[in-house]
Amino acid sequence: MEFLGQDRREGLGRKAHSRFVLVLLILVSVLLLLSSLYSAQASVFKKAREGVMDVASPVLSLFSGPISYVNGVVGSVGDYFNVMEQNKALREENAELRQWMNEALELRETMATYEALKGYAAPPQAQPISAFVIGESNDAFARSMIVNAGRANNVEVGQAVVDENGLVGRIVEAGGGASRVLLLTDIQSRIPVYIEDADIEGILVGNTRAQPVISFTASADDIEPEPGQRVLTSGAGGALPRGLPVGVVTGENRGDIAVDLYANYARTRMVRVINYAFPVVDPVTSEDEAASGEPEDSETDAAPETPAEG
Amino acid sequence: MGYRAENLFRLFKAAAPTLLGVLGVLILAAPVRLFEGIAPTPIIPLVIVFFWSVYGPDYLPPLSVFLIGLLQDLLTGGPLGLWPAVYLITQFIVMSQRAYFLGREQKVVWIGFAFAALGAGLILWLVMSLMSGELLPLRFLMLQLAATAAIYPLFGVAFGELHRRVLVEA
Repeated sequence: MEFLGQDRREGLGRKAHSRFVLVLLILVSVLLLLSSLYSAQASVFKKAREGVMDVASPVLSLFSGPISYVNGVVGSVGDYFNVMEQNKALREENAELRQWMNEALELRETMATYEALKGYAAPPQAQPISAFVIGESNDAFARSMIVNAGRANNVEVGQAVVDENGLVGRIVEAGGGASRVLLLTDIQSRIPVYIEDADIEGILVGNTRAQPVISFTASADDIEPEPGQRVLTSGAGGALPRGLPVGVVTGENRGDIAVDLYANYARTRMVRVINYAFPVVDPVTSEDEAASGEPEDSETDAAPETPAEG
Repeated sequence: MGYRAENLFRLFKAAAPTLLGVLGVLILAAPVRLFEGIAPTPIIPLVIVFFWSVYGPDYLPPLSVFLIGLLQDLLTGGPLGLWPAVYLITQFIVMSQRAYFLGREQKVVWIGFAFAALGAGLILWLVMSLMSGELLPLRFLMLQLAATAAIYPLFGVAFGELHRRVLVEA
């Protein structure tokens, strides 16, 4: 072991070339940055991202176990201190939800009556794919999460991702066994939404702040949105299914409508990827159906639900 | 110790800072939500790049720094080339100031690191603001840089021990 100590230049690099290589690599990264600006969807970059995500996902899964345990312990310490307030809030919420439950049961009965009518074709059902959050970009400007479901579980780019509170984001990269979810707060996030009761359509734009804003609004009448009104996905452009809860209007932010998201990204752990196919209306077959009077539901190919193991 | 084992140990020593950098990137990509996400995750690779640029540039060659940054871009979903540029420019500037840092008190080096982190944050903010077409909010970035600067003394001591006792001496 002694002779090892004498050799002090044990590193990977050699000093003589260091400065030259350093400057060269700075130039390479700047060029890479410029090229990725102009061709962000280039297949080479896409393949590299998906490949690295797939390779890293087992390691990240391994990490996320102890991390969630520690977070659970730390989180529950905080819970002990406000357990009374939480209890009170939960009781009030429970009472409110009970009323909603009764209303929902009534509505379900009404709906069943309508659906029993002849000639009713149900819209295609969404096929949720369950997944766990195994990665998250802890970056000041890039906001995304990695979930442990990929193309093997029928996850595709563009699908909506929700948790128990509401919309989380949408899939931007789908690897074999892991996918990346672009969060609503990312600067690249653009989601078509509408404001309930105000009849305003718009685009929800992320800006790395906790509250994204609705810009590019279009309204038939001159209705001002009021704080507290719900914001839902509009389904415009056929990108996401209509009616997924996004958040509530909180007020104006420099001319745009600020939205308080339902999703709490610090607590998002289990999500569902919504595998939704918009109903394709083929004018020829729909006329045939109307003529024969037989609603067919075989056209909507329903993919089987495949929950990801986690 | 056999010949093979010695060679393996040498390789491990030579690659240790690089491997630590990769580990730091993995921590950045893991859902670490300290105190319900209020405390941001420190940018540990920046500490590693700074430390070995000062105390042992041979142990963290530019290619390693480039690969660490590229891995971070790929895993966090940002534009490719951003973090390699940030880390390599940090390394370039720190290496040019190396003579000043060597042999100084840790307090002085700590302040030096805080400035380096601020510089790295400035590059990051400028590039991302240019990309998005508006001046982005600085709050989260500043919190993250503060967290990174706050952990520097701890990691500086740990890396110092590792460097002195294992990488150079053993």
